[in-house]
Amino acid sequence: MKNTFRPALLLAVAPLALAACKKDDDAAPVAPVAPTTPAQTATVTSLSAAGTTSATGQPVTAKHYTFFSLADGKQIAYTDSNSTKWDVGFRGTTIIVNGGTSGPGQGGAQVLAKLFADVATAPTTDYAVDAATGFAIPTGSGKGWYTYDATTHLISPIAGKIIALRTATGKYAKLEVQSYYKDAPATPSATTPSGYYTFRYAYQPSGTSLK
Amino acid sequence: MAQLLPSFTSHVLPLVLSAGPVLAQRAGAPAPADTLRRLDEVVVTATRTEKSLTDVPIPVAVVGAQQIKSMGALRLGDVLREQTGLSLVADHGQGIQIQGLGSEYTLLLLDGEPLIGRTAGTLDLTRVAVGNIQRVEVVKGPASALWGSDALAGVVNIITQKPQPGLRGSLRARYGTNRTADFGATLNAGGERMRFTLFGNRYSSAGYALQPASGTATVPPFASYTGQGRFTYSLSERTKFSLSGRYYLENQRSSAPTLTEAGTTEVIAYQSQQTDFNLNPTLTHRFAGDKFFATARLYYSRYHTRENYTYAVDGRYYDATYFTQTFLRPEVQVDYRPRPSQTLTLGTGWQRQTVEATRYDQRQLMQAAYGYTQYDWTPTTRLNLVGGVRYDGPSQYAGQLSPKLAARYQLRPWLALRGSVGRGYRAPDFRQLYLNFSNPTVGYSVFGTNQVQAKVAQLAAQGQLATDPATGQAIVYQSALTQAGSLTAESSLATNVGFLLEPKLASEALSYRLTVNAFRNDLSNLIETATVALKKNGQAVFSYRNVTRAYTQGLELENTLRLPRGFAVSAGYQYLVAKDKSVVKALAAGQVFRRNPVSLETERVRPGEYGGLFNRSRHSWNAKLFYESRPHGLTASVRAIYRGRYGFADANANAILDADKEYVRGYLLLNAAASKTLGPWLSAQAGIDNLTNYTDPAYISTLAGRLFYASLSLELGQRAR
Repeated sequence: MKNTFRPALLLAVAPLALAACKKDDDAAPVAPVAPTTPAQTATVTSLSAAGTTSATGQPVTAKHYTFFSLADGKQIAYTDSNSTKWDVGFRGTTIIVNGGTSGPGQGGAQVLAKLFADVATAPTTDYAVDAATGFAIPTGSGKGWYTYDATTHLISPIAGKIIALRTATGKYAKLEVQSYYKDAPATPSATTPSGYYTFRYAYQPSGTSLK
Repeated sequence: MAQLLPSFTSHVLPLVLSAGPVLAQRAGAPAPADTLRRLDEVVVTATRTEKSLTDVPIPVAVVGAQQIKSMGALRLGDVLREQTGLSLVADHGQGIQIQGLGSEYTLLLLDGEPLIGRTAGTLDLTRVAVGNIQRVEVVKGPASALWGSDALAGVVNIITQKPQPGLRGSLRARYGTNRTADFGATLNAGGERMRFTLFGNRYSSAGYALQPASGTATVPPFASYTGQGRFTYSLSERTKFSLSGRYYLENQRSSAPTLTEAGTTEVIAYQSQQTDFNLNPTLTHRFAGDKFFATARLYYSRYHTRENYTYAVDGRYYDATYFTQTFLRPEVQVDYRPRPSQTLTLGTGWQRQTVEATRYDQRQLMQAAYGYTQYDWTPTTRLNLVGGVRYDGPSQYAGQLSPKLAARYQLRPWLALRGSVGRGYRAPDFRQLYLNFSNPTVGYSVFGTNQVQAKVAQLAAQGQLATDPATGQAIVYQSALTQAGSLTAESSLATNVGFLLEPKLASEALSYRLTVNAFRNDLSNLIETATVALKKNGQAVFSYRNVTRAYTQGLELENTLRLPRGFAVSAGYQYLVAKDKSVVKALAAGQVFRRNPVSLETERVRPGEYGGLFNRSRHSWNAKLFYESRPHGLTASVRAIYRGRYGFADANANAILDADKEYVRGYLLLNAAASKTLGPWLSAQAGIDNLTNYTDPAYISTLAGRLFYASLSLELGQRAR
């Protein structure tokens, strides 16, 4: 085997090679596992999903979702909403994925209770899809990725909630929201501009490894 | 209540007097310092019959009038905060925490009848003046088997002074830091058959601001008035009538910069008034043969608050709210004592509560009939067993059966073991049953469970709910809605086990007592909010359901040592662990994490790092020294109260207490007071609370800093025998 093979193929073949080795001779040195393509990881800071502020100072919910492509690592214009260019969309505390009622893609999501680093392999099943009855990433305090404190009116991303994603084009990714406030302050207050997502993600263009 | 049993009343009499040390001296009361509890003290809250404190099989603490006076206390909170195992908690008023359970789980009684008017579960202890209190009894552990709802963590029963023969009165004035002024007067008049007492109190303060820069007072200026009286009439040797009543009024004003709905910050003036009224006629009869003792009581109480908010600049209307609650309860209790070793208690009653408030649709009515029975049996001189059960049949939620069994065994003359198992419950409150609130700015709605089904149906019919385009059906979370519709009481199963050690000491002037109690409360069906439907505006419709399970457990010990020459020392300690069971489970499964708010890195929380429920101190202790010299008319006390660190709020994105910065620092309060007689009628007292001037403005609103005060009291008139 050569490294010029496509990584996806490599992944599929590697275990077979390993098994074959074992069958022949248990004592034989284990064939090196072919390296998989490392996932593309990045951190996005203060991506705005906030609306405007009305003349009287009241926050107004954003008209459009803020679309983002995990594959390209950049924001996508809302005019491309009916395409598979974007993978996730943000508006207020709602996060949508490109699939089901939200878009034409194959997008799905599930929320795991794990450390970001511990989600080494993307699950291949159990993805929920955005539907009229509810989003793949549940909304509401304590239901999905955040809690809302009715006293302080603060939104806090719950530590250890990792969103496993199937992207618009059927690839796998994981995403962790780290802050909902502009510039991710350590102690936001009720007056800190909200609706600004700071998150990190890992995107795997081929296979399920999210390392 | 059966507290008029004559055979025991003689023990209580010396304490009944409204007087300070001066009077006690003249009355020729027994010599040893009465400041700490007496050995033969009688309590009524533990069994609803009179029983010696050392004989009750469940943990009870008693604070007598002498001690209250010696502490220089003004309000009930001042008294309770210095007791072992009790912590003050500020949440919409000053509440009490017993065995790690919040103030909504403690029943507050005034002479055996419940005080009403809670805000967010808290019954504000500053509403109760202590100037006419004979003693406060605190039962720890559930007492729903006798007292019904809310007696889950325990019961605080405030016993006021009973009318005595003779004519006398007292006046008392006290002034201190923050222009805190307290004026009290008592009057007692009585012959052989007819007697009465009157008590009046005015309590006011300029309040204080711990964070003046915020423009908001921590405690705004207030003035409150209490009028209280009791009239007793002996219809015959065996039949007695009593009528007691109380009226409380509090006015408070403040102003605060507020972010209005228009998005601008305006100074809003706030003006509130609270009134609290209760009336309690009671008839008792001892039947011939002295085997039956019957009590018939009627209790009525009304609690009302009104709050007006106006723009400070021009007095324009900004908002107004009100809340009115009434409580009516007739009750009959019969104690049957076929022989001295057995007492059978049977009681039955019916209660009717109404509530009317800004956020409720209409006047709401809640009724419940109930019955209870208790058998108190002493089969041998060493063993005492008390078993009881109560059934409450409320109109708005499922019936509640609350059993309890307690035992006390005198292992040695100086050592008694005691243990009890019982159930406690707390009924869903008015808010959980009847709230009808839609947030005008954000747009969510909250409905009490009593009407949530109808309200959701109504919203659906009005097309206000989000719909599923596939089916055209409104989006309703049916399982949560069903749960909300069948809301039931929160309940606990509790065990208390301990011992009472009272060695016989060489000298009569010396005495020592050690009480130790281990407790465990398993709570289930705790009520939390739940989303039941989704509105078209993207907001949720909330209601309540029974979900959470938690436990509290710990150990409490208390030492009391009476020394010669009028000294008495006491020391108490409580160890407490209180945890949410679902959090414990999630931690064990490795599913709880925390995020460093600066680095945004996440890590797993280890089970051992869980600090338990917020607002509970693992360690708390107190140490007190009392001194009393009758010949010199002198009393003095120094008290140290320590509250160990406790959780305040989550700061690392996992909603639980697990990091050092989520704790409020532990603190020590040092309080001292001294009094001296200045002649036959007059005495003076001076004191300092919070000697070290400890404050924590960001986290503790109830600590105003060092407080000086001085008072003068005048005692007039005839003395009791």
